[in-house]
Amino acid sequence: MIEIRVDENSCNGCGLCVKDCPMHVYELRESLSVPVHPENCMGCLSCHEICPAQALEHKGVYPSKRHYIDIRVCEMLNRVI
Amino acid sequence: MSDGTIEKLKGAFTSDLVYRSEDVPLTCIPHPEELEDTLHGLMKLNGLIIRSLEEVAGRGANAVTYRAGRKYGHEVAKYFEKMENIEEALKELSDILRGQFSFEIWKPADKTSYIIQENGSTFIYLVFHDCIVRQTLRRNGQVQGGPLCQTLYGYVVGAIEEITGKKAKLEIVHTGPNACLKKLILQ
Repeated sequence: MIEIRVDENSCNGCGLCVKDCPMHVYELRESLSVPVHPENCMGCLSCHEICPAQALEHKGVYPSKRHYIDIRVCEMLNRVI
Repeated sequence: MSDGTIEKLKGAFTSDLVYRSEDVPLTCIPHPEELEDTLHGLMKLNGLIIRSLEEVAGRGANAVTYRAGRKYGHEVAKYFEKMENIEEALKELSDILRGQFSFEIWKPADKTSYIIQENGSTFIYLVFHDCIVRQTLRRNGQVQGGPLCQTLYGYVVGAIEEITGKKAKLEIVHTGPNACLKKLILQ
């Protein structure tokens, strides 16, 4: 099962993850996102991408192949960063 | 451009290799690792074709790509064993899609069976993990769920129809950066 951790210090309670998740994994409780049904998480990582505070962490997700990453662009970016 | 430059350019396209008509290639040339540029070119081209199709045909683009995907699904699956059992058919489909798409049969925790019956329809949830369509769209900064996703929709439907001989429908429930949830509706 996928484990989801929400950084309580970062979460601003915007509720985007609650709205976006098709499996209703999250609920807003006292202005904080709480993963109430992590067992329903299929690892799409939409919440991860949509979270403006980057407060979410998923453990145990199958990482899909990413052939689209342009290695040369990444190498250039790494040089700049 | 001088003759020397042209000859130099031409030199890049000559070799001592002898190709015989009876030769059956057993390896992919060049090695797949060297195909990164080709892959990126293809993804870019596919993305642009889809974008242009959408501009010209509007919502009709979905019908075109769905039909293309369905034909592809029928074409690929016709060499596979025919069966009525949907679970076996999905295993077969997973073999057909290997390398381009990978999926798992999935169910919400509160469901007891993978074959779900709700509101008079029978369906199976499929979570697509590796997907060449998603990669193409993200490579080009295009939104998911559009006409290119319809090719996969058609592909799966075509293959399932070919294997089981029954009509099927695929509904895109959710698209994400790492996986997409689809509903295979059995008819």
